Amino acid sequence: MPEPSLGAGRPGVIHDLGYRHYDGLREGTPAIARTLFTTGLRHAYGLGRSGKSKVMPFLLLAMSVLPATIVVGVVVLTGLGELPVSYASYTNRTQLLVSLFAASQAPVLFSRDLRHRSIVLYLARPLAAPVFALVRWLSLTLAMFLFTAIPTVVLYAGAMLSGLDKSDQTTAVLKAVALQVLLAMMIAGVSGVISSVSLRRGFAVVGSVMALIVLTGIVTVVQNIAWFEGDNEAVSIGVGLLSPWSLYTGLANAWDTGVDTPVPVDGAWVPAYVIVAVLLVAACLLGLVARFRKVGSR
Amino acid sequence: MSTLVLDSASRWFGNVVAVNDVSLSIGPGVTGLLGPNGAGKTTLMAMMSGFLAPSAGHVTLDGRPVWRNTETYRQIGLVPERELSFGYLTGRQFVRANADLHRLPDAAAATERILEVVDMVEPAGRRLDTYSKGMRQRVKIAAALVHDPAVLLLDEPFNGVDPRQRMHLMDLLRRLGDEGRTVLFSSHILEEVERLARHIEVVVSGRHAASGDFGAIRRLMTDRPVQYAVQSSDNRTLASVLMAHESVRAVSLRGEHLDVQVGDLGSFAVDLPGLARQHDVTLFELSPSDESLESVFAYLVAR
Amino acid sequence: MNATIAKLALQALLGRRRFFLLLAFPVLLIGLVALVTALLDGEAAYEVLPNLGYPLVLPLVAILAASSVLGPEVDDGSIVYLLSKPVNRYGVAISKWVVALGATLVAGALPILVAALITGDSTRATALFVGAVVAGTAYSALFLAISAVTRHAVIASLMFVLIWESLLGNLFSGIAWLSIGQWGLRIGHEISSALPDPANLGYAIVASLLVTVVGAWFAGDRLRSFSLTGDE
Repeated sequence: MPEPSLGAGRPGVIHDLGYRHYDGLREGTPAIARTLFTTGLRHAYGLGRSGKSKVMPFLLLAMSVLPATIVVGVVVLTGLGELPVSYASYTNRTQLLVSLFAASQAPVLFSRDLRHRSIVLYLARPLAAPVFALVRWLSLTLAMFLFTAIPTVVLYAGAMLSGLDKSDQTTAVLKAVALQVLLAMMIAGVSGVISSVSLRRGFAVVGSVMALIVLTGIVTVVQNIAWFEGDNEAVSIGVGLLSPWSLYTGLANAWDTGVDTPVPVDGAWVPAYVIVAVLLVAACLLGLVARFRKVGSR
Repeated sequence: MSTLVLDSASRWFGNVVAVNDVSLSIGPGVTGLLGPNGAGKTTLMAMMSGFLAPSAGHVTLDGRPVWRNTETYRQIGLVPERELSFGYLTGRQFVRANADLHRLPDAAAATERILEVVDMVEPAGRRLDTYSKGMRQRVKIAAALVHDPAVLLLDEPFNGVDPRQRMHLMDLLRRLGDEGRTVLFSSHILEEVERLARHIEVVVSGRHAASGDFGAIRRLMTDRPVQYAVQSSDNRTLASVLMAHESVRAVSLRGEHLDVQVGDLGSFAVDLPGLARQHDVTLFELSPSDESLESVFAYLVAR
Repeated sequence: MNATIAKLALQALLGRRRFFLLLAFPVLLIGLVALVTALLDGEAAYEVLPNLGYPLVLPLVAILAASSVLGPEVDDGSIVYLLSKPVNRYGVAISKWVVALGATLVAGALPILVAALITGDSTRATALFVGAVVAGTAYSALFLAISAVTRHAVIASLMFVLIWESLLGNLFSGIAWLSIGQWGLRIGHEISSALPDPANLGYAIVASLLVTVVGAWFAGDRLRSFSLTGDE
């Protein structure tokens, strides 16, 4: 036990009252990032938080899985030769639920820490602000992916149970899953940026709804009008570049997964869609990183 | 003259009893509601201000219940702990809005008058979100006083206020209490309560632990020995003499003073002068050293 | 009806960034319709309104308005400053509702009228406008009531509009009996048969009135029992 030295200007001393200085191995930043990632993922579904915060995510998930189970039931019982709804198309039809899930849960991951300034506690650890932002985004992306993937798995299981052609279904599922990954990245990015800018939960939700639902609605309407009324292919396909969901449906259509768009997407449009999707994700990530860096340096 | 009365009031939230069978009455003057964090002070204040219904018992102002009775707000001014979220209003606009909501006949004059009372006339033209904490507190108090209420309830009014502003606030509250208003403020900081309120209500773990002048409370605590600090011409001799006296529990020499712990106050007070004279010791000073709120409070909480 | 409370609610609605969000809706709607009319024709542009403007933009504006005048204040408890006055609670609710209603009509129903007029047929435009006014009134009262009950008012209201009225409403026609949007359309149908005819007229009128009155009353009732339960 260190003895205090007498006289003026005594150095600070910690007596052995149970406080133990830790000199051993410390886990590095990857471990911090990993923990943050899993916590974020759990919080997106309300796990590890109060009962009330589980209501919305699980309610939406249940509503999203229910029709899938019904479809499976129908297929199994009536012995249909193929799924009435393709995997990618199912996700498209439940887009309202998916968008609501993102709108409702993105504030949990992004707005809460900023609003209550607990972000300061996070950034006081050896975790840089950009890494924090990226890890949060990853949590939300995986949460979104699970949200769309679970009904897909249900459908796939049903297809296997009722003996549909294995290789066909598997190709379809894999294509759908790949598209869902891209979709999850885009939606997580967009709703994440909106939630980290608008701190009050209600307005973050409305903002996300505007970007994910209203914008999609506008794009759909314009696409329909441009083709059915205006006979204009280029505008119809081109305007589909402007919203995450229309990018999803465009690519789903291009890869022949059972999703219909007013005008089939082919040719040079396909790589254009992919590039825009990737750019959108990149732009959102840059936005998130910039936002958190600014907030973190205050 | 307005009296707030709680009659066996209790409030529970599910399994947690926040306020447990509290009966007290708050009269004119400044009263401090004291208690550690989580003692139920905020719950009590919410019940007294009509924003929480008692699960059992009654809370009345001059005989009329406070819950769901919007007319009582003519007599009550409430200064909640919550931050103002009306940051886009100026100080004057906020107080004026409060005056308008009270339907005062001359709201503009009342606003100016009250701004003078709280000494906020100059900054009143600026937006609330440019104010410091102390200024915001004063505006809140102005808003609560604009309709000249008989009762003023303040929930932790000195929270986060700097020392100079705190002095101003204390002067203001003292003046209001002297005018005959019933002023109740809650706090868990003993120095504030000690300086401002002579009459206190102590709440510990939801129970009403004590009420009254804290000097009087101390004297009621006969199971604790009273501490006195004595200064005399010969402390050591006096110490040995006092130790022999049956009412004295302990003596200790502390620098210039002699600390005496006395069990039976009465016989000690009677015998001390005689004993001192007998042994040729001159007494210079005799003062109670634990008649502070801190010691009273510590005893109450430790129970 | 209390003018001071209404003024405060109005200042809350106008003085912030949310004002721009509120403004974005009419600008987007009118801009889109004008664009399509210019590029194609009015008939094509009209399609925007019953598919997007009426079922989505109008309720969203109502949600934003209703939750702005009541939500944040109840959420952080600063409504205490308004309630610790000898004002009638129902008066408080109604004053706030009037402001929310005004915003809904100006930023939600009026743009629908303007956009519909741009597309041509003025009878149809009037019909849709009347429907929007009725639906907007009922929506704002309903969402105000929801804001007084839960802090997740926005999501709950969104679920009602998007899941119940839109998603399920498109699948099951019986839902028209319980859908504010459909009631509005039915009333508008009386003016122009370009609007669908989903339910009984008398029922639609009574139901809209009922929801409006009950919504505003309920918000007032919740304010009467508003409790400060200590630290959040």
